[in-house]
Amino acid sequence: MVDQKKLKEAAKETVSRDDVKYVIGYEKGTYGFQVTPSFAFTSEDADRFIFSPLCVNNLMIYPMLEEKLPLRKDEKEDKRKIGLVVKGCDSRAAVQIIQEKGLKREDIVLIGIPCSGIIDPEKITARFPHQTKPVEVEEEGEKFVITINGKTHKISKEELLFDKCKHCENPNPVLYDILVGDEIETSKKEDYDNIKTLEKKSLKEKWEYWEKQFEKCIRCYACRNVCPMCYCKECMVDQLSPQWVQRSVNLSENTSWNIMRAFHLAGRCIGCGECERACPMGIPLTELNKKLEKDVKELFEYKSGLDAEEKPLLAMFKPDDPEEFIL
Amino acid sequence: MDKLILPKDKIPGLIRGIINKYQVYAPVNNDGITLFRQIKDPSKINLDFSNSKVPPKELLFKQTETLFKFIPGKSGKINPIDIPDEKTVIFGIRPCDAKSLAILDNIFKGDYEDPYYLTKRKNTVLVGLSCTQPDVNCFCTSFDDSPVSAEYVDVLFTDIGEKYYVEVKNDKGRQLIKNMNKLFTSANEKDEKKKKEVEKKSVDIITRHMSIDGVVDKLDKIFDNSLWKAIATKCLGCGVCTYLCPTCHCFDIQDENTLTEGARVRVWDSCMNPEYTLHASGYNPRPERMNRVRNRVYHKYNYYPKNYDIVACVGCGRCIENCPVNIDIIDVISQVKGVKH
Amino acid sequence: MNKNPYQPWLATIDDTREEVAGERAIKTFKLVFQDEDVKKNFTFLPGQCAMVSLFGEGECFFAISSSPTQKDFIEVSVMKLGKVTSALHDCEPGDILGVRGPYGNSFDVDVWQGKNLVFIGGGIGQAPLRSLINYVVDNREKYGNLDVIYGARSSKDISYKKEFAELEKRKDVNVHLSIDVEEDGWKKFVGFVPTNLLKVKPSPKNTIAVTCGPPIMIKFVIQNLLELGFTEDQIFTTLEMRMKCGIGKCGRCNIGNLYVCKDGPVFSYKQLKNIQGER
Repeated sequence: MVDQKKLKEAAKETVSRDDVKYVIGYEKGTYGFQVTPSFAFTSEDADRFIFSPLCVNNLMIYPMLEEKLPLRKDEKEDKRKIGLVVKGCDSRAAVQIIQEKGLKREDIVLIGIPCSGIIDPEKITARFPHQTKPVEVEEEGEKFVITINGKTHKISKEELLFDKCKHCENPNPVLYDILVGDEIETSKKEDYDNIKTLEKKSLKEKWEYWEKQFEKCIRCYACRNVCPMCYCKECMVDQLSPQWVQRSVNLSENTSWNIMRAFHLAGRCIGCGECERACPMGIPLTELNKKLEKDVKELFEYKSGLDAEEKPLLAMFKPDDPEEFIL
Repeated sequence: MDKLILPKDKIPGLIRGIINKYQVYAPVNNDGITLFRQIKDPSKINLDFSNSKVPPKELLFKQTETLFKFIPGKSGKINPIDIPDEKTVIFGIRPCDAKSLAILDNIFKGDYEDPYYLTKRKNTVLVGLSCTQPDVNCFCTSFDDSPVSAEYVDVLFTDIGEKYYVEVKNDKGRQLIKNMNKLFTSANEKDEKKKKEVEKKSVDIITRHMSIDGVVDKLDKIFDNSLWKAIATKCLGCGVCTYLCPTCHCFDIQDENTLTEGARVRVWDSCMNPEYTLHASGYNPRPERMNRVRNRVYHKYNYYPKNYDIVACVGCGRCIENCPVNIDIIDVISQVKGVKH
Repeated sequence: MNKNPYQPWLATIDDTREEVAGERAIKTFKLVFQDEDVKKNFTFLPGQCAMVSLFGEGECFFAISSSPTQKDFIEVSVMKLGKVTSALHDCEPGDILGVRGPYGNSFDVDVWQGKNLVFIGGGIGQAPLRSLINYVVDNREKYGNLDVIYGARSSKDISYKKEFAELEKRKDVNVHLSIDVEEDGWKKFVGFVPTNLLKVKPSPKNTIAVTCGPPIMIKFVIQNLLELGFTEDQIFTTLEMRMKCGIGKCGRCNIGNLYVCKDGPVFSYKQLKNIQGER
């Protein structure tokens, strides 16, 4: 369990720095198992910070959403840093964005949290529906201890963990300025079992499976908007001249959108699963992205978001690459 | 108002009878998510749901609607299309979603009548299903509405145990069950009492409350308050709230064509997109997320009520449920009430 | 009127005239409705707009820049700026466009009878004012003094050059043209439109002022009009917004609870001051 006091101290220390604008962490949400991003501009604000197995958001989206507004004549751009609370997967997003030069290392101050797994909101609300009052969740060995209205329930982690957390190879932040707590040892491995099952299907079966999924898509673009790696100034689907994807919602355009986005994420997606969580229609987007992640690993022996000094996979060329030219 | 009883085991027969004459849309389980889809077989209906993911407004105000076809270019050939006018039934619509259609009616009527929406609306019979298990984020009661209200539907089914208490409000509803009267019996006082008990139980399950007293006037006063920036800082601009909101009606119109044929289509749009109000000159009246978030709240709770005397929110809770960062409209309005002015 | 408000009537381009050349070119299109009934019966008042579409490209909301006193055709002036307007600029006489309208409210030409009028325009903002000017000129005896103040970046950027030349010849219209920067051969006022307004110094007594142009120009013109003694309900402007439906349904052109396509585009300064909403 993460030491809440140490977390608050780290946050307060960071926000009090002269060169830090604000720190982003988590605070209790408005009902039930909700947790919401919290922006601390002062030490007092940072008192609201918590970290629990419910802290599901990937906060690395926020530096990419920062709006650079036009300045008045006498105003100077506020170039101070942004502090962020990051779990293992979130920190990989930071590393990947730094690799791509979307952010500079010195733009952010990372408060790293060694994370032993996050609870899947769908699983826990299915188990304990209709919670309006905020609830407490703590870890106790291989169980989660959930306190609702004074009564405690002990549920095995296996039952409530996000599927992505069950195979997490990076529980500890790969990049941080302050680490809250000790590093976690893990023997979990990403074995791509569910992807291998999908791969065994025939081409016809695969198309049928994915068409069934893409038919559900309502093109709300929530998947793109929650993804820290989707930070193009003008997304391909918003372009009008030329118009790559029509705005009509039908299987053909939906398939275009989803597959194009998956390919734009190939070698970049760090597997935080926010896209799938945000998707209102239950499309298994992590399956799509994980398949490309597996391909990238097998073809290039590359894993995204580990080394900030490394060059991004699809922006570099090694002499022993299978193709003769970069195309 | 006719008050009838229908035993639960008669539902498939009723639906089969209706399918003969109407297109029937009902809640179905689509891979774990409830959606309103057309059914030809009553066994596909799933009535064990709190509410559909996408509101049934998508059946009348379709996400993608062809306005007319044309031959692209400067030779100006328009091919008008026939607007579908099949008799339709939406079976199992919740009272809140039915109210949202009344709210949308105001937009699509007026000086210019929208034939695409209004034709479907005219030809659709709403068969409501009372809520016996409101969800955690339901708050229709905050608008003086009830989870068992028949106000905005043509027929209302309420589950009172082994049977349904059926209220037939008007001729549209009577026409619907005309040939299947033998499936129904008259309701008696005990049944009516049972419905009232169901109502009380349902209302008691709803614990979240939004206080909307004076919200229009309060919003008038706090347009420039810093709370909008604070709320918008969390917002990702993802737009899920707008796509799932039963009263949202914003749309885009695009010409979609190949070299030889095309159509002008109307598609749902979201005011949370920065491009939504972007002028061709590059000027954008709502350049910041703060402007867009504030505009959304004001549209529902200030602008629309100023034009039509009713708040454009039915308390379905979908926006609260689906927001990935827990921006909670009940919390927002309570913050609005709390601002000292 | 079409039962279906989204379906345009067909109109042929009778004539195109280049007003301003260059990067932000402005062209005026003269459109004639194909349907005889529509051609005869299409009426509107100055200030109203039409949705003009090129099938396959899209639709845009333009002020009708011809006067309703000119029968059997309408004119729209288009600045080449985006996807649809660029495609429109490639159109020639004989090409067929879609037109639906008239939309929006109009200038209160009936209420303003007997009053003095000051019209202050800049750039492409002159388009709705041109409709108003020609309407007033065609009904000249119904109105008092008429001052037309118009400015552009340079003499090349002046729209409706020929028409201004004709107006200048008239004794019952006072035309005050200006350009932003000194130019060889330009003997009239040099400076921004709001400054020219102060120089012209129209009296606010029984006068209505209408201004249309870039937002920054409108801001200073209104400031100066107030300084000259005009009250808030004597000042009118037209606004523009990104529009798609033009009939107050798609939601995007709102300022507060008003829709620019339906409750505008003509607004009094008094109205604009009192409404909350981004514009």
